[in-house]
Amino acid sequence: VATASRRSPAVAGDGPASPGRLSGPFALGLAVALLLFGALAVTTPRLLTFDNARAILASAALVGITAVGATLVMIAGSGVSLAASQTATVVAMFFLATQQWGLWVAVPVALGSGIVLTALQGAVVGFWNANPIVLTIGTGFAIGGVTTWFSGGTPVYPEAHPYVVLNSTPLGLPLAVYVLLAAAVFAQWLLRRTTAGRQMYLVGENRGAARAAGLPVGRVTVIAWAFFGACIALTGIFLASFNTQATATLGGTLSLDAIAAVLVGGTLITGGRGSAAQTLGGAVLIALISDVLLLRGFSTGAQMLVKGILVLAVVVGVHLRTTRVLR
Amino acid sequence: MIRRWLAGPDRLVPAVSLLVVLIAFACSPLVSGKRLEPFDVYNTLQGFAQLGLLALAIGITMIAGEFDLSVVGTYALGGMLAVETGARSPLLGVAIAVAAGAAVGATQGWLIARLRIPSMPVTLATYIALLGLTYTLSGGLSKTYTNSDATLWVDQTIGEIFSPRSLVTLAAFALAAIVLGYTKLGRELRAIGSDRRASRVAGVNVDRRIVGLFAFSGIVAALGGALLSYSYASANPDPGLQPLILASVAALLGGVSLAGGRGAPLGLLAGTVSVAMLAQIVAITAMPDYTTQLLYATLLAIIVAIESPGLRDLADRLRARRAPGRHVTP
Repeated sequence: VATASRRSPAVAGDGPASPGRLSGPFALGLAVALLLFGALAVTTPRLLTFDNARAILASAALVGITAVGATLVMIAGSGVSLAASQTATVVAMFFLATQQWGLWVAVPVALGSGIVLTALQGAVVGFWNANPIVLTIGTGFAIGGVTTWFSGGTPVYPEAHPYVVLNSTPLGLPLAVYVLLAAAVFAQWLLRRTTAGRQMYLVGENRGAARAAGLPVGRVTVIAWAFFGACIALTGIFLASFNTQATATLGGTLSLDAIAAVLVGGTLITGGRGSAAQTLGGAVLIALISDVLLLRGFSTGAQMLVKGILVLAVVVGVHLRTTRVLR
Repeated sequence: MIRRWLAGPDRLVPAVSLLVVLIAFACSPLVSGKRLEPFDVYNTLQGFAQLGLLALAIGITMIAGEFDLSVVGTYALGGMLAVETGARSPLLGVAIAVAAGAAVGATQGWLIARLRIPSMPVTLATYIALLGLTYTLSGGLSKTYTNSDATLWVDQTIGEIFSPRSLVTLAAFALAAIVLGYTKLGRELRAIGSDRRASRVAGVNVDRRIVGLFAFSGIVAALGGALLSYSYASANPDPGLQPLILASVAALLGGVSLAGGRGAPLGLLAGTVSVAMLAQIVAITAMPDYTTQLLYATLLAIIVAIESPGLRDLADRLRARRAPGRHVTP
């Protein structure tokens, strides 16, 4: 079943079983929208320049890294996490607070805290079958509350500045872009070539059957969440380096932005289908569209409006294709 | 008899949370050193009014097994539309906001029902799009509401503790409770939430119910947004995620489950009052802000523990081991 996820996500199906009369207009609408967007893109000055491509990749990087991790969680059938923003914030605070001991301490501390915090939630979901939305709203409150408690509501400033290395731009691209690519390649390898990765698809496809077949449902779920935690931590590290201080709102809307990127990549919200490469595509597509609208002088509001419509179109398109395959 | 009435978590959770919060509220003078005034109750009800319609909107979709994330988008859009169109006639502003909410909700409901898509990704997309639309309407800025008569009117005190805003919110809960309690709609929603295919087979017009449900959710959320903007005398294009999360907490404390099939408007009412009162207790006793967050986290942890099937199995197994020979049903 998992091989079906190789298909390109953004192309609408043309003949699903049940809602047959809908798909024609839908495919037509999507084609028209793509053509319009293509025309807009080609006629936009400065779009096809190296500098602009760099800007697009850079703006996709931070959300993209978290989204790659969120892909594994969604594929494994745990749905979504609404605690990513808070986790990234607390990781950023740990990272900046440990700067005086150098990056060799700060990065492992940050990665470790992200992995532990997120893998614990994965354990509750995987072993006890808890509802991930309720759980992650709760952990979001807990992490946010404890963070404010210990930081006293004031920003965390670093005592030393070894982190500036992470703001370097080798070959003209921000380091975060390389990390995004590496994370996507690693996630793709994990999903395709390791036992745990293959089992994520099976667990996501049908949890009960996977459990009945003797698959280690809990362990697989924890591995997916642990990788997600590492990705959130990487985002947190780059957020901290970029902002040079960490406030309680540093994470912003990371949780929802990451979910949007995963969905635009065509990963199924119910699990069992999707890939990290598609999520990479989704993150870049969202960044590309925002960039075109920005260059064209559209407001933030128009960018968000188009992003929402894009997510909706892809969700509907992917759903129509999936149901056609399954029915 | 009370034990049997409280047997299910849909009654137990809201009853216990309301009781605990009420006791804490009554005891709060011990910490603050000041007597409770009617004004404290008024403030609690104002907090309830701010959250209530949103909690009703999201909670009622959760009863039917859906999760309408877009309510905050509708809330923001409703508030902005009411402010922009209701300067001369506040009622017209509310009407336009509510009409927009109904249209957005019905469209989403139609997509979800007709195509049988999970509601979470659809409503997430709508949420982003609606925020974008609200930004576009306002140019990304807060809009001031110039009709100060309406602002004064919605928050005036009635009988020392009420305001028109909290009375409208209470009326919406009462209406939902009466309609769901005395018609077959309530049972149908719970049936749709617990087993959609079975309720379809049993003759429930599932698609139409879902369209109506999301339209209702949109109407209520837009009304909440409009009333809030009138009260603040301004509309904010981005309320953030906090209202959504608080409304979900209120619904969960109200005994609704995210899996669907469980809950009632009166439970939602108890859950929302609990959340509002908790915030008021923290304000009265001048505890630091993060205390509220930690309290919500604790409450959600309890809900996770009650709800998660794995933990329940574990508890059953432990009980079975302690009392050998007794049959334990899972």
